[in-house]
Amino acid sequence: MSDQPTFTLTIDQNKYLPLDGREVHAILTVGATGGITTQAAGPAEAAEVIIVDTSGSMSGSKIREARQAAVTAVQTLRDGAYFAVIAGTDRATMVYPRGNPQLVKATPATKAEAHRAIDKLLAHGGTAIGEWLKLAGHLLTAHPSAIRHALLMTDGQNNERADVFGSVLAAWSGKFVVDCLGVGADWAPAELRRVAEAMLGTFDFVRDQGDLPEYFRRLTQTSMSKTVAELSLRVWVPQTARLKFVKQVSPVLLDLTGKRTDVNPLTGDYPTGSWGAEEREYHVCVEVPPGQIGQEIRAGWVKLVRPDTGDVLASGNVLAQWTDDLAQSTRINGKVAHYTGQAELHDLIQDGLSARAAGDVDTATARLAKAREIAVESGREDTARLLEKVVEVDPASGTARLRRNVDKADEIELDTGSVRTSRLRKEGS
Amino acid sequence: MTAPEARAADAGAGACPVCGTPVYEGYAYCEKCGHTLGSPTCTSCGAAAVDAEGYCERCGLRQPTGRDHAEIVLEGGAAAVTDRGLRRSRNEDAVALLAAGRSTVAVVCDGVGSSPRADEASAVAVEAASAALIRGLSHEEAFELAGRAVTKLATSVHDAPASTYVAAVVRDGRISLAWAGDTRAYWLPAGLPDGGLLTVDDAIETGEITAWLGADAGDVRPHVRVFEPQGPGLLLVCSDGLWRYLDGHPLPAPGDPQALARELLRHALDSGGQDNITIALIPLGELP
Repeated sequence: MSDQPTFTLTIDQNKYLPLDGREVHAILTVGATGGITTQAAGPAEAAEVIIVDTSGSMSGSKIREARQAAVTAVQTLRDGAYFAVIAGTDRATMVYPRGNPQLVKATPATKAEAHRAIDKLLAHGGTAIGEWLKLAGHLLTAHPSAIRHALLMTDGQNNERADVFGSVLAAWSGKFVVDCLGVGADWAPAELRRVAEAMLGTFDFVRDQGDLPEYFRRLTQTSMSKTVAELSLRVWVPQTARLKFVKQVSPVLLDLTGKRTDVNPLTGDYPTGSWGAEEREYHVCVEVPPGQIGQEIRAGWVKLVRPDTGDVLASGNVLAQWTDDLAQSTRINGKVAHYTGQAELHDLIQDGLSARAAGDVDTATARLAKAREIAVESGREDTARLLEKVVEVDPASGTARLRRNVDKADEIELDTGSVRTSRLRKEGS
Repeated sequence: MTAPEARAADAGAGACPVCGTPVYEGYAYCEKCGHTLGSPTCTSCGAAAVDAEGYCERCGLRQPTGRDHAEIVLEGGAAAVTDRGLRRSRNEDAVALLAAGRSTVAVVCDGVGSSPRADEASAVAVEAASAALIRGLSHEEAFELAGRAVTKLATSVHDAPASTYVAAVVRDGRISLAWAGDTRAYWLPAGLPDGGLLTVDDAIETGEITAWLGADAGDVRPHVRVFEPQGPGLLLVCSDGLWRYLDGHPLPAPGDPQALARELLRHALDSGGQDNITIALIPLGELP
């Protein structure tokens, strides 16, 4: 177990509630330190599937960059990791290894063979992302104790029926982690967002396809640095309370509320995927029954657990105490306020972009202008800069107006980037 | 009754207080949810589900601690009660009630709410002062020791726990008192009309106290007074959590000290229980 990281769980909240206060908010910071994988330490087994979109739209320079990216990913694999490369069209095809659908151990020899197989990839056919994920899932299932991960890149829109795609995601959700990359300006962020949310991964926009190999390298490296396969947040709330939501809020927004597995009537597990040396933050909201002045309750009992063994790696209490001292109950915890703002910013951008696409100019203008204001206030300079390209605000009158000619790539970058959150700045600013 | 509880009743066994699953006599923990059976009972929801940290695993309530409500009764009949009240999150009052030989000692301290760790301040003050007084040291010496104990808690004058102070020694029908701040002593006579307030608050009109124990208290000296009642009665020593609710009420008639202490506590709670409430009662002479 010496290669396992040490986990810490800290809770930021203002436990004081006014007499009519019913909602308790807390930010959980989960940190994993030490135990960073080294070759010598004998890290946990890794299983990696690299999925390359080879549909017709990928022809030309795109397929060349995609091949290069897949090769880079293969080269980044740790020797001893299990891997496969899949080509995705309207079906999923094994690129490497050929023949039986299974993963092979990464060695200098198998990596070289994979390289040669990838070099032969051609672009033709349709796009059925669900099929690709199904094959990846079957390949990874053969390695139940491994850290299971897939890397998916696409440049196009999924051509499957929404319900078919949805049932694939539901069936494989939580079974492995998928990080997604969108290339070019023709793909639909909403679809990759669904994949990332269901598969507890990230999704990102590769604006310049020449950067694709670097994205592949970075994601593969991150995946190789994971040392704990699967952890859950186990959350207990009192019998008379209701857990309103559990969201990851940093480094990216990810709503876990719907991913609950009941442990007992008061307790549920929320999957968090695999962990390396990293820090993530979660926002928990509990609705509690009315209380009396001075009374203190444990409104939530949070444990970080290994679902396979039940081992508790860290735990903490979310508290609530009723008071008639307004100075206590009206103080808002800084972290709670910050991430509430970040989630609001995300919602405003999503609502604003949908309204803009639907031609509802008033709603789009209001939402995006408000988003721009929050982005500036919370130090999200990149987001503020992108919003600036979509909506302009007259500095004198404060009147906001949608810009006419918006670069499609700017819009996608704004759309995909809105899940990223900034960390709360330290004292001062 | 929920379905699992009903099934448990049918099986003639208990149900897990947390998840309601039927459990059998002698089980150490619930097979379904892992709850440890035979845990202490929650004061609010009644489930046998209080965990080691003091929270109920069913309703979440933090259980009252020893200081939230405590009672002391001595063999000679003297009694004391201290209670968190209804509005404060913890009890920052402290009381000591001791008897040795012919002497009975009561010390009541009220941690100053605006100071840090006020609960510790009052606790160390009553401990130091009562131990000194029962050994026969003077009021001045006891006050000095209590003051030093509170001062030691401070890390600087800006982080100085503070407490009020009142100490009473009853010996051979004679009451001696020392105090600083706004904790008080009253005489409740059984017959003769010599009752009333025995102490004078160190406080300005708006209620802020002008003397206390603590690193930021300056060179504070206690008021000292000796009172010899003419007949039997009860000495009442209390914090402002009680006496603020005595205004406009006739002084309580003496009676069994423990019963009266509880009755006065009930009166303070029923009147709002804004602050911590501490009451000590020492009988003198033969009460009717």
